[in-house]
Amino acid sequence: MTHVLTRFVLFALLWLVLMPSLVWYDLLIGLLAVLAATWVSLRLLPPTQGSIGLLALLMLMPRFVWQSVMAGWEVAWRAFHPNMPLAPGFITYPTALEPGLARNTFTTLTSLLPGSLPCEHTRGGIVYHVLDIHQAHLEQLAREEQRLADVLPTARHRP
Amino acid sequence: MSLLLNLWTILAVSLGVFFFLAGTLGLLRFPDVFTRLHALTKADNLGLGLVVLGLLPQMNSIHAMLKLLLIWLLVLFSGAIVSQMLAQAVRSGKLD
Repeated sequence: MTHVLTRFVLFALLWLVLMPSLVWYDLLIGLLAVLAATWVSLRLLPPTQGSIGLLALLMLMPRFVWQSVMAGWEVAWRAFHPNMPLAPGFITYPTALEPGLARNTFTTLTSLLPGSLPCEHTRGGIVYHVLDIHQAHLEQLAREEQRLADVLPTARHRP
Repeated sequence: MSLLLNLWTILAVSLGVFFFLAGTLGLLRFPDVFTRLHALTKADNLGLGLVVLGLLPQMNSIHAMLKLLLIWLLVLFSGAIVSQMLAQAVRSGKLD
């Protein structure tokens, strides 16, 4: 029940940012929209085991933003460079993260890492496309996984 | 004070435009779908972020600022998610 309430409140805040009006008919439409959004979110992402806390997500935010800065800079450098230094290829990262929410959060967070783009989930792990195959991507991914596991203790199914 | 804020806006928005340019350049120059996805999602995310940060001091209410930040966050997350879905579709042969 608290999950439902939390989501309802969050969607309501979101509505107020988008539509900052306290007139009753605006609020009525807002209420309908917020109820619909809560319902859809509960259907698409049921609050079962291992749901991610808002606080945990907020703690990951600064890193997420910083990584997107580094990633943008890195790709801009390659695009502007006359020789266009690219050594693209695929790597497979054998993750210990639980399939589902934990793993999806991980792929989303790492999709903004400099030079790597998750593109497939296989039995052996997550396949990434990388711009430079010679960089230490696997080590970096391991560090990211550790960070995520720190804020999401139930994420891993083996040590 | 407002001169400083205006300078900040000019600086940040110009930097943002630089990254949008980089993303477009990557889209044109890079050899395949995957590398182009890198260019578009990563450079444009950063470009939009800088444009938003640059425009923040020009807004006349907290609410407008929140809205700008919200737009950035939504684009950031949708870019992160859509890029991997596209890459997955290409890799599985559903797209060329």
